[in-house]
Amino acid sequence: MTVRDVAKLLEAEVLSGEDKLDIEVKHGGAADMMSDILALCGPNQLVLTGYIHPQVIRTALVTELLGLVFVRCKNIPPETIKMARQHNILMLQTRLFMFSSCGILYAAGLRGVDER
Amino acid sequence: MSDRNDLSKYAGLFEDIRAADIMTANVTVIPPEKKISHAKEMMNIKRISGLPVVDETRHLIGIVTVEDIIHALEFNRLGEPIRNMMTRDVITVGVNDRLTDIVSKFQAYRFGRFPVVDADNVLRGIISRKDILNGVLEKFNLIYVHDQKRISTLNSEFSFITGERLTVGDAEFHYNIDTTDIGSAGVGAVMLKTFLADKRYPAEIIRRIGVAVYEAETNVIIHSRGTGDIYCFLQGDLIMVRVVDNGIGIEDMDMAMKEGYSTAPDYVRELGFGAGMGIPNIKRFVDKLVILSEKNVGTQVEMILYLPIEASAPATPGTLTKN
Ligand SMILES: Nc1ncnc2c1ncn2[C@@H]1O[C@H](COP(=O)(O)OP(=O)(O)O)[C@@H](O)[C@H]1O
Ligand SMILES: [Mg+2]
Repeated sequence: MTVRDVAKLLEAEVLSGEDKLDIEVKHGGAADMMSDILALCGPNQLVLTGYIHPQVIRTALVTELLGLVFVRCKNIPPETIKMARQHNILMLQTRLFMFSSCGILYAAGLRGVDER
Repeated sequence: MSDRNDLSKYAGLFEDIRAADIMTANVTVIPPEKKISHAKEMMNIKRISGLPVVDETRHLIGIVTVEDIIHALEFNRLGEPIRNMMTRDVITVGVNDRLTDIVSKFQAYRFGRFPVVDADNVLRGIISRKDILNGVLEKFNLIYVHDQKRISTLNSEFSFITGERLTVGDAEFHYNIDTTDIGSAGVGAVMLKTFLADKRYPAEIIRRIGVAVYEAETNVIIHSRGTGDIYCFLQGDLIMVRVVDNGIGIEDMDMAMKEGYSTAPDYVRELGFGAGMGIPNIKRFVDKLVILSEKNVGTQVEMILYLPIEASAPATPGTLTKN
């Protein structure tokens, strides 16, 4: 599916990386700890997270993720969004919870990073 | 730095180390009736410079060295049995020899390795400079963590840790870690990635270094309570990164190596760190890792990544810019 499909399925808002909407995405993960993202996720993957601190953007950068989906629509700090835009990292935001977000994307064909 | 690397002041600690404790027990050997060409092949494949020759009962009767092979080549004797060309008066180390004696043997003879034999001259192992180093590091809790690829030369390896050849002034990349700004965690890792990308290193290598350095850099910021630096050395077929700090040191190295062990305070979890996966992650992403730490002196994380063969081949234009 494309990033645009992901955004549609999760009724998500695109906060950064609008130019990436047509990119094809095959694998995704969900994590709140930076070390988990670093260890388990990699290039061209989408990571769902509830962790909104700007540090997550740097983690995405180091890991070369395609982008991040922030679940449960918390108050994302402006620094996080600013940093994502600065480095052109895709950033989506959905009001759905983690569990439902993962389930919806999986049902639609997105696979886990462990299923590569 | 140089203080920390001065092993001699710890000499007393090593008295009880015996050859048997640090030798490599799994030795490649060859019987005397095989041809020299066979020995040459084996040494080539296994990348070793000396091959012990043993009889059926594993008694050591000689050693074939690179010199013997060169000699055989020169006189066209590769087809002859090893018995005819091997060195018979082998300098050996006894299984119960002490570390100090072993070290003096290395100094006296300048061989790369010595066969280790028991009282009946039966071969029990082999000992190289690297085995000594590992034994020493283990002893004073400076942990030699793991080694996935034992392919680099012994001498350069020895110097990585003693700092003999790698002085930080020679580093191609240097970043001073701002330990007062928690939000800067990872800035050095990202800069190093950019630096390596500019030099056209393989993307996969850069990614692995990025992750490992990010974890080490973060540790300096959240745990060390000191100041720190990241250095990167480019050495043709490998990349070496050293993340060093002058902080409190790692109290319990064995625990720090374990997944899930963390002494991180709560505010660190707000950063998304403190899951106790940092050092295990570093280990996972590098080919070789050496962590030296002393209480209230600091911590030094050295990591090495080997380049894939194609990328390090000097003849390949444009793949790698060295220095
Ligand atoms: N540079 C350092 N200085 C002091 N202690 C450290 C350093 N790096 C790691 N440690 C210790 O090792 C432990 C494990 O580190 P790590 O695996 O990265 O987990 P975490 O950072 O999540 O605690 C840390 O909790 C800390 O006690
Ligand atoms: Mg850590």
